[in-house]
Amino acid sequence: MSGNVVPSPCSTTCLCGFLDPPFKLRLQTLHLQKVVTANLKIESLNWGAFQQEHFMPDYAVDMMNIKAFTLVSAVERELLMGDRDHISIECVECCGRNLYVGTNDCFIYHFLLEEKAMPTGTATFIATKQLHRHLGFKKPVNELCAASALNRLLVLCDNSITLVNMLNLEPVPSGARIKGATTFAVNENPVNGDPFCVEVCIISVKRRTVQMFLVYEDRVQIVKEVSTTEQPLAVAVDGYFLCLALTTQYIILNYSTGFSQDLFPYCSEEKPPIVKRIGRQEFLLAGPGGLGMFATVAGISQRAPVHWSENVIGAAVCFPYVIALDDEFITVHSMLDQQQKQTLPFKEGHILQDFEGRVIVATSKGVYILVPLPLEKQIQDLLANRRVEEALVLAKGARRNIPKEKFQVMYRRILQQAGFIQFAQLQFLEAKELFRSSQLDVRELISLYPFLLPTSSSFTRSHPPLHEYADLNQLTQGDQEKMAKCKRFLMSYLNEIRSTEVANGYKEDIDTALLKLYAEADHDSLLDLLVTENSCLLTDSAAWLEKHKKYFALGLLYHYNKQDASAVQLWVNIVNGDIQDSTRSDLYEYIVDFLTYCLDQELVWTHADWLLQKSQEVGVQVFTKRPLDEQQQTSFNPDDIISCLKKYPKALVKYLEHLVIDRRLQKEEYHTHLALLYLEEVLRQRAPTGGKDVEATETQAKLRRLLQKSDLYRVHLLKEKIQGAGLPMESAILHGKLGEHEKALHILVHEMGDFSAAEDYCLWSSEGQDAACRQRLFHTLLAMYLRAGPSAHDLTVAAVDLLNHHAREFDATQVLQLLPDTWSVQLLCPFLTGAMRDSIHARRTTQVALGLAKSENLIYMYDKMKLKGSAIWLSEKKLCQLCQNPFGEPVFVRYPNGGLVHTHCAASRHTNPSSPSPGTRT
Amino acid sequence: MRKPDGKIVLLGDMNVGKTSLLQRYMERRFPDTVSTVGGAFYLKQWRSFNISIWDTAGREQFHGLGSMYCRGAAAIILTYDVNNPQSLFELEDRFLGLTETANNDCLFAIVGNKVDLTTERGPEGGEKDQASGKTGSCVSSKVPKQVHPEDAMALYKKILKYKMLDEREMPGAEQMCFETSAKTGHNVDLLFETLFDLVVPMITRQKAEESSPIVDITICKAPKQTRSGCCA
Repeated sequence: MSGNVVPSPCSTTCLCGFLDPPFKLRLQTLHLQKVVTANLKIESLNWGAFQQEHFMPDYAVDMMNIKAFTLVSAVERELLMGDRDHISIECVECCGRNLYVGTNDCFIYHFLLEEKAMPTGTATFIATKQLHRHLGFKKPVNELCAASALNRLLVLCDNSITLVNMLNLEPVPSGARIKGATTFAVNENPVNGDPFCVEVCIISVKRRTVQMFLVYEDRVQIVKEVSTTEQPLAVAVDGYFLCLALTTQYIILNYSTGFSQDLFPYCSEEKPPIVKRIGRQEFLLAGPGGLGMFATVAGISQRAPVHWSENVIGAAVCFPYVIALDDEFITVHSMLDQQQKQTLPFKEGHILQDFEGRVIVATSKGVYILVPLPLEKQIQDLLANRRVEEALVLAKGARRNIPKEKFQVMYRRILQQAGFIQFAQLQFLEAKELFRSSQLDVRELISLYPFLLPTSSSFTRSHPPLHEYADLNQLTQGDQEKMAKCKRFLMSYLNEIRSTEVANGYKEDIDTALLKLYAEADHDSLLDLLVTENSCLLTDSAAWLEKHKKYFALGLLYHYNKQDASAVQLWVNIVNGDIQDSTRSDLYEYIVDFLTYCLDQELVWTHADWLLQKSQEVGVQVFTKRPLDEQQQTSFNPDDIISCLKKYPKALVKYLEHLVIDRRLQKEEYHTHLALLYLEEVLRQRAPTGGKDVEATETQAKLRRLLQKSDLYRVHLLKEKIQGAGLPMESAILHGKLGEHEKALHILVHEMGDFSAAEDYCLWSSEGQDAACRQRLFHTLLAMYLRAGPSAHDLTVAAVDLLNHHAREFDATQVLQLLPDTWSVQLLCPFLTGAMRDSIHARRTTQVALGLAKSENLIYMYDKMKLKGSAIWLSEKKLCQLCQNPFGEPVFVRYPNGGLVHTHCAASRHTNPSSPSPGTRT
Repeated sequence: MRKPDGKIVLLGDMNVGKTSLLQRYMERRFPDTVSTVGGAFYLKQWRSFNISIWDTAGREQFHGLGSMYCRGAAAIILTYDVNNPQSLFELEDRFLGLTETANNDCLFAIVGNKVDLTTERGPEGGEKDQASGKTGSCVSSKVPKQVHPEDAMALYKKILKYKMLDEREMPGAEQMCFETSAKTGHNVDLLFETLFDLVVPMITRQKAEESSPIVDITICKAPKQTRSGCCA
């Protein structure tokens, strides 16, 4: 579109970037002259699109100008001089709406300036001439300066400063004037407190002299004269400080103390000096090598210099810019980053001055105003050119010139725009920082990514837009790699902010977008997102997960939205292979686990058959591993479960074990049922081999344990079942359960010959019973061993071992009577020692217990005595309550109520002495 | 604009790498730089202080600005190129004079930059260099490593003498002479941070002096006068 216009500035600017600054400027100067017309056209084009087409490198971007000012005409040539060519403008002054122009033919013109805003936003000025007056000399008017408080205009003409009325331009009647001045400057930071007086510093026609004056409405007064080391050429004033351009250097001179400080050398013969006060205690000076130097009254530079042209004529400041004028251009330089920002072609200019923020330039024939563009507009232009750094510097610099609230809103927006520019350049770190600090509505960012915002989202992008991109496709121009990078950035960014307050109000949008990104990228965090607290919107997310075949995740989503039935059905389908999703290889176990903790009984029943068909052992866990507290509230009925498990014997065994062993349910049916199932299994296992030598299988061990531990099963039923099955151990246990210990032991000793089993039997069978019972069992066993007589050698050994190992379980006296006399003490040594020791121990403990009991008794007696009252004094005054005679001997009877009687009276009266009522007696 | 609490100025002949040193420290990079025009500065926050670091132009053209930049400086970094003996002599000849305007207790650091370009290192190479250095002090600058730390330290001691500073009160030559490479970053952080740590106590002392009661009175008087004048 702009192909034929654009390349010329582009190629020239690119070239500039490689050259050293001194050359840079000159070269730019050259080409700009030619390109200016083209530039005007380009301005209206879209720079962004232009850049993309031409891939302009960064340094070229840096060189591009911004538009900080527009130049508009204020006083047309016709207004001033008409066709009189010899007349030229010498000086200009602007004060409020008053514009004064001094000419070379000694005229002063007074105009009123009227500012008119154009619909395009730029201002125009119309100057209306008020009057003009000739000063009466044949000299040019050199300088003009208004003192509005005095209603006076200071006019320098013919080396003399006269005062004229600001409105009618009449000289003051007093004729007050300052004579012998080559130039002057008004102190804008006056030290004298009188508001109706201005302080003026002049450079005197006397050699090397400056003078300070106070100028009143109609008089002037000299304050001070100071001589300088060299001839001064230019002056600016701030407080007591004069900034002077001397012949070879600039100095700061305190006219009050006379102290002077050199700033830097400068050759006034080569170029005219410039001294300009730019603010409190700070001056701008023309330095060597085309530098605009800043210096404070302390002689220090606090800003880096700006680089203007070598042949600069005038300089002005309009924050944050320094404006410089040379023969052909007005250049604009930022005080914030020292870069040159704008170049305006302007030929034959010879005056550049700022008056209270208004910048005026003039040629010898016409007056123009440099109208600053609103800072916001400038910043927007910079952003449009992707000059983020500069835009931010300018915005920050503008802080003090814009009301706080307005600034904050504006600055936030600028940061956001800057963020998107960085984002578009894949500068994610910078972008993130900008988004964060500007509290970007994150949906602005999400909305760049197609389909990420939920369809239900009410979000619309801010207007005017923060960036120029429709979506990511446009931004990356279809580059898949860039796209992936952008997506990774968004993932990490959303993840970071989703739990911060930035997310407040649109958590749904954020989480749904994050889910979509994770799903698309096959990211592990998808599952983490779904199993923790989230705000993913169901319909949107479900459709997306389905599209990306994330069925397991979809199940999680359903679960999070309390649709467990859909979740489980989905997972079942995955396990069955109806749909494909390899997220979890242990999905079956996962479902079992899920249903185990699922409170919805209906759902468990729905899938119970499927689970058990897949694996009885694992599937049954949905019943056996349920958390206990839940079981108490809405528990499954075990009978329902058992009937369900009929088809799944292994599962049934597991479940019954769970009921009997884990939960210790004391219900005969379960115990019997479990015992029978074990038995069946044992029998089934034995059937093929039929041999007796098979070691006790696991099931058999379980069966034995159950038969031993449980007292609830139906013993007789089992005995019947076991009959003739060749299970001696089991039938011994059953005998034992029926109290038939003799039979049981007989089986163990004589049928099985398993002595240790017999000993065990004595131990477990008497478990939980009293010692006598155990003793009886051991005696029975011992008797059984001994009964066989000495011929059965192994039984004898067993008997000895039994005695020696379980000495305590026997009553030694009984045993000794039973033992054959032939047995040596040696043989029974352990038993005897043990028995002895036990017996002595028993005796001693009994003695101790006795002693303790006695002393305890004594304590009680003592307590009782204490409680039973105090000593009784017998005297002649105490009478027996029955016979009313005094006591003759120290013997008496005391009744529990305290009444005292003679022993003989008590013996004779068998009735209770309550009847004589001691209370009434005494 | 934040007002800096102290100032450090980089001085030295053109093309010794002043701008590169500063950019390496402040921006952690080593871009191609163009000849500095006039000067530039950075603000560095160190502890609670803002320290401005001025990069000056080495070109003769801007020489006159040096005094102003140095005015009130707390420390001055005199930079030379270890491959260019002339650049060390220039420090004494041209640049030392500019430092008259600096604070009375101004610190000096002497920095030999571009050590990455020297080919010979280690003690052996050092001896060889010394030998060649004696004969060829004015020879073309392409001979590797022409200037030695000892030369810089000698200059440092000379500066202290010129300035009539007590050698025992100033940091030692070993501490204040550096050999750096802006390209690799060698010793760059050490240089600046050593200076910051030395400058901070000076700033604190200065501030304490400024706020001493004697000075206070004179400061307070001036505004009083204007106020009374205003009311009258």
